[in-house]
Amino acid sequence: MSHRIFFTLIAFLAAALASSARAQDVPVSDTQNLLKDLQQRVLKLEGAPAKASLSSFNPAMGAALDATFHSANDKANFDFRALELNMEAPVDPYLKAWGVITGSNGGVDVEEATVETTALPHNLTARGGRLFAAFGRLAHFHDHELPVIDRPGSLDGYIGGETRADGIEVSCLLPTDLFMTATFGAYDKLGANNARQDAAGSRPLDEFTYLARLNTYLELADGHSVELGVDSAWTPKRTVVPTAGGDALHRDTWRTLTGLDLTYRYQPSVGGLYKGILWGTELLQNDERRIDPVTNLPTRRRPSYAGNSFVEVKSGRHLRGGVMADLLEDQDDNRKLTKTLTGFLSYDVTEFQRLRATYAESMVNAPGPKRRTVALQWTAVFGNHVHGFRDR
Amino acid sequence: MKTKIILALCLVCSAAIAARAKTLQVVATIPELGDIAFRIGGANAKIDVLARGTEDIHQVVMRPSLVPKLNRADAVVYLGLTVEHSFLPGLLNVAANPNLRADAVKQCVGPGCIDCSEGLVVLEKPESLSRAEGEIHPFGNPHYNLDPEDGALIARNIAAGFSRVDPARAEDYRKNLKAYLAELDAKLVEWRKWVAPLKGLKAVSYHKDVAYLERFTGLEFVGTLEPKPGVAPTPTHLEKLVEKMKREKVGLIVREQQYDPKFPEFLAEHTGAKIATIGTMAKAFPDADTFIRINEHNLRAILAAVGKTP
Repeated sequence: MSHRIFFTLIAFLAAALASSARAQDVPVSDTQNLLKDLQQRVLKLEGAPAKASLSSFNPAMGAALDATFHSANDKANFDFRALELNMEAPVDPYLKAWGVITGSNGGVDVEEATVETTALPHNLTARGGRLFAAFGRLAHFHDHELPVIDRPGSLDGYIGGETRADGIEVSCLLPTDLFMTATFGAYDKLGANNARQDAAGSRPLDEFTYLARLNTYLELADGHSVELGVDSAWTPKRTVVPTAGGDALHRDTWRTLTGLDLTYRYQPSVGGLYKGILWGTELLQNDERRIDPVTNLPTRRRPSYAGNSFVEVKSGRHLRGGVMADLLEDQDDNRKLTKTLTGFLSYDVTEFQRLRATYAESMVNAPGPKRRTVALQWTAVFGNHVHGFRDR
Repeated sequence: MKTKIILALCLVCSAAIAARAKTLQVVATIPELGDIAFRIGGANAKIDVLARGTEDIHQVVMRPSLVPKLNRADAVVYLGLTVEHSFLPGLLNVAANPNLRADAVKQCVGPGCIDCSEGLVVLEKPESLSRAEGEIHPFGNPHYNLDPEDGALIARNIAAGFSRVDPARAEDYRKNLKAYLAELDAKLVEWRKWVAPLKGLKAVSYHKDVAYLERFTGLEFVGTLEPKPGVAPTPTHLEKLVEKMKREKVGLIVREQQYDPKFPEFLAEHTGAKIATIGTMAKAFPDADTFIRINEHNLRAILAAVGKTP
């Protein structure tokens, strides 16, 4: 009996040991299978092509919508100023390109269509196509980026709108510890609304406009800085359509537009982009023989001057305001001077939406009423919209 | 005699030029990256930093004086995940350095670009990309420098980047990394004990930048003062937040030092919650000029606000 009990116990123990061994074997093989399975899945994931579509290489796009309301001397209007569509993308490892197409009441226009190198040696950058030439500071800002609603008369009168130009520009970052750039450009003409030269059609090289600009920056103290730019746009010769009048009338038709811009910034580090003071001043000198509107012949050489100066105080994320004074000497009649004083207040609802109000008073030193303008502006940017280093 | 002096001067000059040529020129976007880069690079690297540390990292001003530094740099060390979008690509674009080219997506492309977020487990990846959600970062929350644990990842990425750019001194960088990680590990052991009592405590922050800090401390952030990232607080939103804080018994308001204190103070006044002011970059406070010090400062501030001591 005791033998039977003993054998039964042994049989039980053996069965228990066998089942325990099986229990240990099964998880090991399961773990190995699981590992194999996971390894295969990881390999599949790693080997799978990246998720992409045919539109992956499309340019980044965005738009700025600019709508205004103007009231001047008892007349008012709502004005859809522009929908500015922008797109940008690298072309290849050596080039990037961007375009800005603007739709407004005046129609649809290509404002910028520019290619820019990204890998030239010796700190050089070349850009070409239709571009905003690097003349002055505010002159190459798009309308909605200006500190005031309406483009200052000095810039509008002497440049002709934005510095839009068809041509080529080369900039060089000088190899110094001080930030200094030199820019040279050659264009058909300078200024979107500059009527001196037809934008289309070929011309001799001495009827192109050539630009040179030097720009530097100094940090005065923590948070205080000054940026200085000097430039000159030179057009060696201007075509005078009537050939009558003798050689003397057709000589020395060169034009220079010379500029000086100074920007002082106080930007405390706490507050970043949204606090501080910005003081910008631009002076312009135009030197040319103007065309007599009656005879269409060049008159005597006449230098004339214009400029603007503004102070903007940024009090925080939402509010900023300031004043701008603008002086414009008539290029045909030096005695006629237009002075405009503009007060402006901007409210940035978010980084992508801005409301702005301006009050401007214009006086011409000639008999006539003052022009008082109240303007409101609503600007929204959507999609990809980047203001680069130059337009900061 | 004159000839000897000239020769000696020439020798000194050429030695100085050679020494300068050997030094790795590094630009870091924010102070704590500059600090870790300095620890990894040691005497082999000269570090310049773009941000001062007191700014909002999303609004660092593009100062032209930074351009020549980027122009000559061998490497740029950055946090990545588009957090430096307001200044880094713009500056790189003008710097004309073929080794560091501006890129709208990655911020920097080229052999000298050292993205410290490589290998990061990214939190708060947006489910949809729309500006209706505020100023969101398309690749996820980029404020991982607020998690002390991620210091190790940053240090490893910097060491790997330096070794890639300057392989001749890879061994030096490896040794420096090891020493830095040992120091950081010791601190982490200490800090983990500090934050133990914070686990489960409810809090709100000004901006949605505390996901990584939340992971380390165990705090539970239930709201932000901004209704959406980058959108300033509105009265309606603050009223709702006060109600929520009272309902959920939130006792802590984390204010990042770059933001206006008046809104956190309003909340504190109406809820009785305490304010902890933290820095989102090193040098946000005078005594917090390194990665370790800013994290220690932040943890101490939070502990003090909830009445605990380290």
